[in-house]
This record gives sequence, C-alpha cells and structure tokens, in this order.
Amino acid sequence: MVEIEIDGQLVNAEPGEMVIAVTDRESISVPRFCYHKKLSISASCRMCLVDVEGAPKPQPACSTPIAEGMKIHTQNEKAVASQKAVMEFLLINHPLDCPICDQGGECELQDVAVEYGSDVSRFSEGKRIVAPSDIGPLIQTDMTRCIHCTRCVRFGNEIAGIMEMGATGRGEELKIEPFLAEGITSELSGNMIDVCPVGALTSKPFRYELRSWQMSSIESIARHDLVGSNLYAQTYKGNVKRVVSGDNDAVNETWISDRDRFSYEGLSHENRLLSPQIKVEGQWKEVEWDVALDFAVKGLNRNILNSRNMAKLGGLASNTATLEELYLMQKLLREMGCENIDHRLNVKNLNNTIHLKSTMALADLEAVDYGLIIGANLRLEQPMINHRLRKAQLSGANITALNVKDFDYNYKVKSNAIAPSEIANTLAGVLKILLDKAQQELPEYLLAVSPNKQTVELANELLEADNSVLILGEHLINNAQASSISNLTAEIAKLTNSTTLNLTATANSIGAQQMGFVPNSTGMNTNEMFEADMCAFLLLDIYPEYDFHHSATALSALSKNDVFVISLNSFSNELVSQYSDVMLPMAAMFETSGTHMNIDGKMQSFSAAVSAPGEAKPVWKILKVLADLLELPGFHYENSAKVMEGISHQSVQSHEHDTSVNLGDRTTLVETIWMHSPYQSDVLLRHADSLSVSKIGQINTASMNASTAKILSLSDKDSYLGVPVEIIETMADQCVFVSSNQATNIGGLK
Amino acid sequence: MISNNAKKQIDSWITKYPQGKQSSAVMEALKAVQAENNNQLSHDLIQAVADYLDMPGIAAAEVATFYENYNHQPVGKHIIRFCHNISCMLNGADDLILHLEAKLGVKTGQITKDGLISVKKVECLGACVGAPMFQIGDQYYENLTTDKIDEIVDGLK
Amino acid sequence: MNEVCFKNIDKDQCWSLENYEASGGYSVWRKILKGEYTPEQIINELKTSGLRGRGGAGFPTGLKWSFMPRNAQGQKYIVCNSDEGEPGTCKDRDILRFNPHAVIEGMAIGSFVMNATVGYNYIRGEFMEPFNRFEGALKEAYDAGLLGKNINKSKIDFDLYSHLGAGAYICGEETALLESIEGKKGQPRFKPPFPANVGLFGKPTTINNTESFASVPDIMLNGGQWFADLGVANSGGTKLFSVSGHVAKPANFEVSMGMPFKELLELAGGMRDGAKLKAVIPGGSSTPVLTAEVAMGMTMDYDGIDKVGSMLGAGSVIVMDESTCMVEALTRLAHFYYDESCGQCTPCREGTGWLYRVLKRIMDGKGKADDINLLLGVQEKIQGNTICALGDAAAMPVESFIRCFREEFEYYIEHGKSMVKG
Ligand SMILES: Cc1cc2nc3c(=O)[nH]c(=O)nc-3n(C[C@H](O)[C@H](O)[C@H](O)COP(=O)(O)O)c2cc1C
Ligand code: SF4
Ligand code: FES
Repeated sequence: MVEIEIDGQLVNAEPGEMVIAVTDRESISVPRFCYHKKLSISASCRMCLVDVEGAPKPQPACSTPIAEGMKIHTQNEKAVASQKAVMEFLLINHPLDCPICDQGGECELQDVAVEYGSDVSRFSEGKRIVAPSDIGPLIQTDMTRCIHCTRCVRFGNEIAGIMEMGATGRGEELKIEPFLAEGITSELSGNMIDVCPVGALTSKPFRYELRSWQMSSIESIARHDLVGSNLYAQTYKGNVKRVVSGDNDAVNETWISDRDRFSYEGLSHENRLLSPQIKVEGQWKEVEWDVALDFAVKGLNRNILNSRNMAKLGGLASNTATLEELYLMQKLLREMGCENIDHRLNVKNLNNTIHLKSTMALADLEAVDYGLIIGANLRLEQPMINHRLRKAQLSGANITALNVKDFDYNYKVKSNAIAPSEIANTLAGVLKILLDKAQQELPEYLLAVSPNKQTVELANELLEADNSVLILGEHLINNAQASSISNLTAEIAKLTNSTTLNLTATANSIGAQQMGFVPNSTGMNTNEMFEADMCAFLLLDIYPEYDFHHSATALSALSKNDVFVISLNSFSNELVSQYSDVMLPMAAMFETSGTHMNIDGKMQSFSAAVSAPGEAKPVWKILKVLADLLELPGFHYENSAKVMEGISHQSVQSHEHDTSVNLGDRTTLVETIWMHSPYQSDVLLRHADSLSVSKIGQINTASMNASTAKILSLSDKDSYLGVPVEIIETMADQCVFVSSNQATNIGGLK
Repeated sequence: MISNNAKKQIDSWITKYPQGKQSSAVMEALKAVQAENNNQLSHDLIQAVADYLDMPGIAAAEVATFYENYNHQPVGKHIIRFCHNISCMLNGADDLILHLEAKLGVKTGQITKDGLISVKKVECLGACVGAPMFQIGDQYYENLTTDKIDEIVDGLK
Repeated sequence: MNEVCFKNIDKDQCWSLENYEASGGYSVWRKILKGEYTPEQIINELKTSGLRGRGGAGFPTGLKWSFMPRNAQGQKYIVCNSDEGEPGTCKDRDILRFNPHAVIEGMAIGSFVMNATVGYNYIRGEFMEPFNRFEGALKEAYDAGLLGKNINKSKIDFDLYSHLGAGAYICGEETALLESIEGKKGQPRFKPPFPANVGLFGKPTTINNTESFASVPDIMLNGGQWFADLGVANSGGTKLFSVSGHVAKPANFEVSMGMPFKELLELAGGMRDGAKLKAVIPGGSSTPVLTAEVAMGMTMDYDGIDKVGSMLGAGSVIVMDESTCMVEALTRLAHFYYDESCGQCTPCREGTGWLYRVLKRIMDGKGKADDINLLLGVQEKIQGNTICALGDAAAMPVESFIRCFREEFEYYIEHGKSMVKG
C-alpha cells in the first residue's frame, strides 16, 4: 500500500494497480469507453486521460500504474481539456440521432457527451457511414455507431475464447466485423451487447421495442444450468422484454450465457398454456380454476384416495422447477401417503446412477492446475463452468478430456476420444496404478485390470498435479457403468486429493435432491412407476417426448384409460393433452418467485419479474390450494418466502449407494449417447425462437466416424434414429453421439 | 488452396520464429499466396492461410486488410506503385502520373484492358533522394522522366 | 566525410564481407567472442560516443542498452528498425544496400551486451533489393561462423533473421513493429510496460534504428571519444542526411554533426536551377517546417535544430523552393498521416481525417474563414493525447506550416486558389 493524492484527496492504493481501479473504488468518476474491468486493457479510446503531476502529457487512467507519491488530477484544466478533445473526436463521426438509436438512454457515449461535449460540432465534413452486416439472429449491428473501443473484440478473444469479431482495415476505415459468413456463434455472444458502450451492438430480439428507461429491471436467477447466473429481467407492461447480465463474482462474474439471456423469448410464445382445462368424455373444456381443481380432487378421490391406494399414485417433476415447488409437491404427495416421487426422468437405469458429491466451489475452479473432464461438452452444456475452467487452463492448468467425441473446446484440452464402455475400465486402470504407487491393497475387481499407455498417462497427470478436479458430465447418466464410474472417481479423488464436480444432473436437480424429490425406500422411481400398474399421476411441467428416457413406455403408462393424470404445464403439448385429465396452466421462469440451488449448494432466491399470462398461476399457489382442497395439513403459506422458511427445516435424507464396481465390456456393436442440443434442454428454451435459429440452436446431428457409418450402413445423407448423420473423424470408434434439437425418437431408444 | 511451392516458402519463414509462434509468418504467407493468385487475396485464401498457421480467420483478415501491399480487388499483372509523397511531389510526380495515365489510358486504381498493368498512388517508398520514383514488382525505378517512364512501361510484358 | 556507415561506399561491391572485414569489420565481434569485452565496457564506450538514436527520437543508445535486464531469466530479443517510411527518409535503405555487415555486427554487439540471443531486422516490405542484400550478408556471416549457436566455441549464441513488412508506416513505431513481427496488425502498444521489460513475444527487447546499429562497430573499433569528436557537444559522430526536394544533387550524405545547413545544401549541389530557397523540413515530414532565413542559420545537430524550433528527427532534409505551394505541401503530408493512422486511438483516427478533409476542402476552393483556427484547434487536440507519436507527427506540420506561411493559407481560403501557383 502506498499513499497517493487524487484531486487533492489522500488515497491508499496498491503500487502497480491502474489509476482507474483506484478512482472507481473511491467513486471518483473518470469517463471511459475501452476500459472494462474484466477485459484486458487497450488504452485506445483515450477518454480517461487525467493529469499526473510531473508527466508532460495527460495519462490514461486505465493504463497508468500507481506509484508512490503520485498526484493525480482528474478534473483540472489539463485533464478536462483532453477529455473534451477526445469526446469531440468521438462525436464527429458518430450519428447524433440518439432518439432513434436502440441504445438511447443507456448509452455510455450519450452519458459522457452530455457532460463533456460542446453543443455545436465544428465538424462539417460529412460523417462516416458503415454498411450494416448480419451477424446472426441474436445481435443487431449498427456499425456506423461503433466507436472502435474493441471491447467486443477483446470479449471474443479473451472470454468467449473464439476470436470472431475483429477490427479490419486501418485508420478511419477501421471496421469491427466478423470474418465468417455465419457471424457470431459463441455460446456467450450476447455479452457483446452488454459490453458495447454504444448502440453498435444491441439485442436483435429486443430491437426497437422500447427505451431502457421505460422498463423496470428485476433481479433474477437463471435456471437453465447448474450455475444460477445472476441477471436482470427488464420488463414493460407485464412482459419480459430483455435480459441483461448481473454481477456476482462468486457465480457468473459479469457474464451470462446466450441460453440464459434469450430464453425469455419463449415466455410470449403462442404455445403457452393459458387456462385450466378438464377432459370430459374425451373433450377438452376450458374451465375456471375452482372447477378444474375440484375436478382434479374428484379424480384423485375416485382413483386413489377412496380406495386408499397410495402406492398407485405417482408424482414427477421437471428439474427446472424451483426449490419451493419441488418441496411443496413432495410434501403434498407425502402427506397423502404417496412415496412414488421422482425428478430423474431421463435416466435409463435408476439403480445405476452417478451419485458423486461435488466438493469444489465454482470460483475455486479457476485455481486448479489439472482438470479431468469425463463425459461432458462443457462449453455448450455448462458454459459458465467451462468459462472458469478455461481461465484455469489459460493460467497454466492441464486439462484432459475423456469424451466420445473431440468437442470444439475453446481452450487447450488434451482430448481422448473414448467409447462410453471404456470409461470405467480406464478409470479402473488409473486407480490400480495409484493404489500400486501408494502400496495399498487392491480390491478384487482391479486384479484383472492391466494398465495401458493411456491409464499410465492419466495417473501421472493426476499425481503431478497439486490441485486437480475430476468432472463428471451429463453424457454419463445413461452409461452402462454409471455407478461404477461414480465410485471409481470417488476413489481416485481420495487417493489424489482431487476435488470433484458432478455435472450429470443440471438445472435445479441438486435442489430437487435436497428437497427429497426422490422416492424413499418404499417408493418407486420414475421407471418403476411406468412399469407398475398405476392409477394416478401428478406431473409438474413434463413434456414426455423430450423429458423421458423411456418415452414410449412412459407414454403408454400415462395413456392408459383408467389412469387419472393431473398435469401442471407452462406450455401446451399434444401428448400431454392426450394422456392428461386435467391441465393446469403454470407460471414459467421469470413469472414466479422462488429459489434455485446451484452447484455450490448456494440458494439464490428471486422474485417474480412479471405475472404469468392468461390464467396461469405460480405453482406454489396451485399446489397450496390443491393441498387445501385435499384437506392436507400444513399448507398455510401466504407466499413462496414462507415456503422457504419451511424448507430450512427440511432434513435431507442421504441415500445409500451401491459402492461396488463392475467392469463390463462393450455389449453392443455400436454405442449411442443421446443428448438434447443445448438450446433444447428445457421447455422454455424450446420456445425461444431466436435461440433456436442460431447456429447452436440448429445443431441436430448424429456424429459418427466413417467406419461406424459403414457398420451401420449409413452415409451423411441418411439419418440415424431420425437425426441427420454427420460423419466426422473425431469420434471414438463404433460410437454415435447424438445432439438433437428434436424430440427423442419415441420407441426408437431403448 | 495453398500450393506446395507457397507452403514451402511459408514453412521456411516459420522456422525464424519461436516454437508455437508460427503466426508471425502470416504476412509472408499472405504475400506468397497472393503472388500465386493474380496478385489478389480472397476470403477463402485468407482463411486457408489462417488455417495453415493455426490462427483465427479474422486475425489473418485483420492483417490482410491492415497492410497496404495486399490486394482485395482485381489488379493488373504488373502494379505500378507511384509515389506521390512530398519529395516526389516536389519533383513533379503529379504530372508524371498524369502522363502515365494518359499513356495507358487508365486512371489510378484501374487496370489496362489487356489486364497487364494497373496504377496505384502510394505513400513514400523510402527513395526520396531518387524522386520521382515508382515501384514495379520488387524493382524501384528512380529519377523518372516521361521518356524513362515510356521506356519502362513499353518493356512490360 | 563518409567515416562511419558509409566508409566503404566508394569501393566496388562495398557490401561484401571481404570489403567489410578489410576495413576492420567484425574485429570487435571477434574480440567479444574471445571474451575480451564486458558488456559494461561497451555500454561505457557508447555513452562516451554520444551516439543518439537515429530513428527519430534521438534517445542516447548507451543509456537505452543499459536499461535491458540482461541478467533476467529467459529469452531476450534485439530488433533492428529498418522500416524507414517517414517521407523524406531513405538512408537506412542505403545502409542495408551498401553496408549490411555493419548492421549485423552492430546487432551482434548489442546482443552480447543485452544477452539477447535472437535478433530480427524488420525491413519494410517494399525494400526487396535491400532485403536481398541483407539476406546475402547474413548468409556470408553464418557461413563465416560469425553467427549461430556457440559461435566459435565462445558459448555465445546469436541468431539473426530478417522480417519483412507489408506496407504500413506505423510499423516504424517500435511497439507497432513488435506487434507486426508477432504476425498482427501494426498497432502501437501503450506504455508502460516498455519493450525493455515486455517486448517481442512478451520478452525483454531492445529496438534500435538501422543507422544506430551500423554506427556501433566503428565506435567500438575507434573508441567512443573518436566518435564523439566527429560531432559536436550533445550530438556525437557523423549522421546520414537524406537531402531531397528542390536541390541540384539530391542524395544521402554522411557528414559531421553540427555542419551548418548552408554547407549541407552546397554538398547537395545547391538549389536546383538557381531557384530561391523557401522552406526546409529538416528531419522528416513529422518535424516542423522552417522558413528559408531560419534554416540558413541553423546547424545540423540535435541542439542546433532544436534551437530554431524543429527537430533533427531521422535527418531527412526536404528542401522547397519558391515555386512550392505550402497549402498543397501540407495537404499532401496531412493525407499521408490520414492514410497511415493505424486507427486504434480516437484522436489520431478521427483527427487525422479531419485535418486532411479541411485542407482538401481549402484546396478545392471551399475554404472557410474559420478554417485556420479550426486546423490549429484540431491539431492541438491531437497532440499529447494519442497512444504513439504518430498523432503528434500529424499535428506538428499543421501548426508549423500555418505559423510560418499563414498568408498562403489565408490567400487560398479567400481566393479559392494558390497564392504561388495561381
Ligand atoms: C509513427 C512513427 C514512425 C516511426 N518510424 C520509424 C522508422 O521508420 N525507423 C526508425 O528507426 N524509427 C522509427 N520511429 C521511431 C521508433 O519508434 C524508435 O524510436 C526507434 O526505432 C528507436 O531506435 P533508435 O533509438 O536507434 O532511434 C518511428 C516512430 C513513430 C512514432
Ligand atoms: S461494436 Fe461496440 S463494443 Fe465493439 S468496438 Fe464498436 S463500440 Fe466497441
Ligand atoms: S478507458 Fe482508458 S483509454 Fe479508453
């Protein structure tokens, strides 16, 4: 710490930190355009010039390091003269039509201009016009407004990790543009809108909708992944009009994924379920809430309650539900005496699951020196977690991936294309080497395992690291050895002092687990329910053709004549209306208050940004009234916050896990991993139109290498399980990786 | 897209730079590729160079558009790069350029009908004591006069 | 004079290794390889010599070399700036053509002083003849065992490469030049950090002009004091002056620092066709223009030119006679800076275009009464506010042309035509 003087005021600062960091901390305002606290310094806009005593020229605050005894003037004649000069230069070629610009009212240039600009420009030489370019469905460009701050370029380079935007040409002709015809494709691209200080890059879906000052900004939490990114929903007349990122260093820093930014578009989709409906003699009828709920209760009475046949009732929920919703629903079911409760819908075999504990805080991920990713395309599946790991890699960490495909990583990854059936064996090999090194006794199952080049390498990488993390991803949920992989990983972590991250279940699944939204020992899980002879179901926001692994079985179980199905849904859906008896419209994301639990176990609550459309109601209210009608005790909640109070008393049941390891070999000629493409992972996303026409939204491929294609007698003109074939050599042999934006091919997958 | 010959040239430039810094060779790579493609760079050629050097396409495009010596529009087989900066101007470059234009029947920026020659006005080429001057290919021509220009231009094939 | 950089220039094949060695070339380097010098000795000799950077800024070379953290771990680089693009300047081209080995030896000596085992010579892309000469000399030096790894079993490594530009004046700015070697656009870096700490590929780097390097071997050969005595106080040695414009015999002249401008003009054959001198730009297009009277009274050294309100710069003397329209001349220079601005920082990107457009408008006969004040105001707003000195370089001519020849500008604005040419 040294003492310096800013505008006559004594201030403590670290030698070497930049002047602007100190002025920001001290709330001394210094104008800036190119500086952004999370991006590298470019010092090119020259707006932040200040006077440093002893320096002949004014110095940029953003790139002048603090030194002992410095005396800085941010507002004296010299500083202001420079700032005004720069402002004048910035404005000569910038349109002065703020009233028609989309950034109007939230433009950093406009703000500073008001303070510094002289009223009349002396520039009469004709302004530069830059031809517009189409850079994709998410970002609108108006490059005549660009002030060449290069924040967007640096964002792409440094944060998104792919350099898509660049500054071509030179001098006055300098032009910010992408090189590729497809424009900007990064999964984080929308942040360029936030970093752009002017109206050059704005939100395309939001274009010309409104002025920023007409909207209210409501803090909220994204629920599409395990991070729970902080953001603001900006609303006008009861609609979410735009989403911008919030600041939270422990969660998403200042970035959000495109998925979190643009999903709101789905809220106003015409497919929203808007009114309660009941099925009478096979015909749907729109009714009042009380009629619908009465109908629901009667159905439950008829099918279950009267006969006290609670074992024949099942409750299933989507993992995008809030903690409160999940808690209330399991409470309601359990109060009725029902133990058939589950949120794990897409797991093939629920007796064989990944159950690894996550032991690493998100922010600490940046500090690892080694990361092993198993079964995940982190960049698209968990963009913000990927961002942290990328930072670790950039500061020197080694990252290795065991994936079925060499994905397009945006940092250096040692990638090994590996068949799903080889993962457990590989981990076993690693474990064996580690145990040998530690001179510990080998368990039975390792005796026959023989180390190979890859396992030796992996073991060495782990042993050399001081701070390693093992990451299990979504592709493992239906791995034939999921539970063994989970156990092996835990053992390896123990021996190597590694931390672990379990990313196999996303959105709010961690919360669902915590809320006990899983069957206890007497209850049935999702798959068992569909095999059993059930009489009634209560379903929360479920869309069978996307959500279930055994979608065909699920559909036939739900469609049986004598099964009474109550469905709470945010969107209408053909299949739902086929099998349901009551459909209750529910509030979607941004329309309800609640809580999300992220990978760190951090509970983040949010309030509703808007109210739900039509007759739709927040789920907690629906469930509360239903409980009251069923005369169940303990549902006297006035709001969701009250539900939360109850939750804090919730004791989490820890489940016994099978700790055995079974090392199987490949059992099928070709192994298939089926994943929804990233912008299809929940119902709101599936209705966000701009996302779905983006490059990532268009992903719909069954990837395989040429020899696998030959085995399957397929060419790249065919489709596999209804998904177009992509022949690519970066796949493990005899494996197919499906990333699809369409419904699970019903019946096709077993 | 990149010929073996060009690849050989690029590879020899790469050896001058530290391991992993092969993108230092981008300027020469673009030149080599341009020389083999009618003195002109296309989007695809730039991408090919970027791929060859393992750098983002836009980074190569930044270079290709920043430096003066890359062409993105059709040019003649020979480009007469006529200096019109101060020392050459003081020595009558402007009149000589008019002479050249009249002789070729083109304006600066245009190509002769036979595609042989295009004329470009450029900034100081660092031969001010030989003003007025121009450059064709690797060759400088200094102390130009109308007669000298005629002779040089007539010799272009 | 021709005592340093041009000392062999009259010999046939003056650029050959043989000729170079015959006049003592590489003897300093060979001594270094034998361990007969310490870096400190060399730096002291350079400091005594009074050699100042010949690239334009005139920073003392010995002092610059002493800034390099020679004992820091890791790679360090030495870079020669042969980008030569400042209008009026064409001396480095001749050094490369006629005395390439002096550049190589100068860089080699520097590499030893600064413990930089790799060097690059950045040659402007159009200089193909000089490039080929330099490459030829490099080959000779390698073949003679003067460069490479563990040279002559001295445990000293020095590998030297040339890098070609591709047409951008700004790459002469030293940090833009580094960016360019790294395969990027030539956009200057902000400082600090300075190249001596974070330079090429992020490593400590020293950059000097071609002429600066080429002067080093002879300084070491004959002693710093010898070199200092060739010149005057504060401006040691000889200097190459590129004399161009309206002179009878334009050429590069190596003369002693401190030579009166009058004599230099005579060396260049005097004014062409006996015309009358009107103005002189003494150090390259960026340096302020001087009127005839002032110029005739100055001496050609750092202080001598400084005293009359301009700068020695790169020693590029542009001579203009009475037939010159100063509005036209300034417009041409303004166009140059407008064309060559890298576009990175606001005042230069926007300001150079503004200056040029106003001047162009005046030339088109559409000048406005307030344009002179406007030009002065705009140039003032550029000066001191940019990342690199190109902004200042664009501004200074405007200020000085208007200051010295205001009536010509007023006339042009008022009458819509040139006072000189009509
Ligand atoms: C716009 C601009 C152009 C420059 N061009 C050159 C050049 O062509 N050659 C050169 O040696 N120095 C040039 N310089 C100066 C260099 O930045 C640097 O000061 C010089 O190479 C240092 O070498 P020296 O100390 O030996 O002079 C230029 C500076 C600026 C700002
Ligand atoms: S588009 Fe916006 S963020 Fe990008 S350089 Fe221009 S002003 Fe800056
Ligand atoms: S904010 Fe400092 S120069 Fe742009």
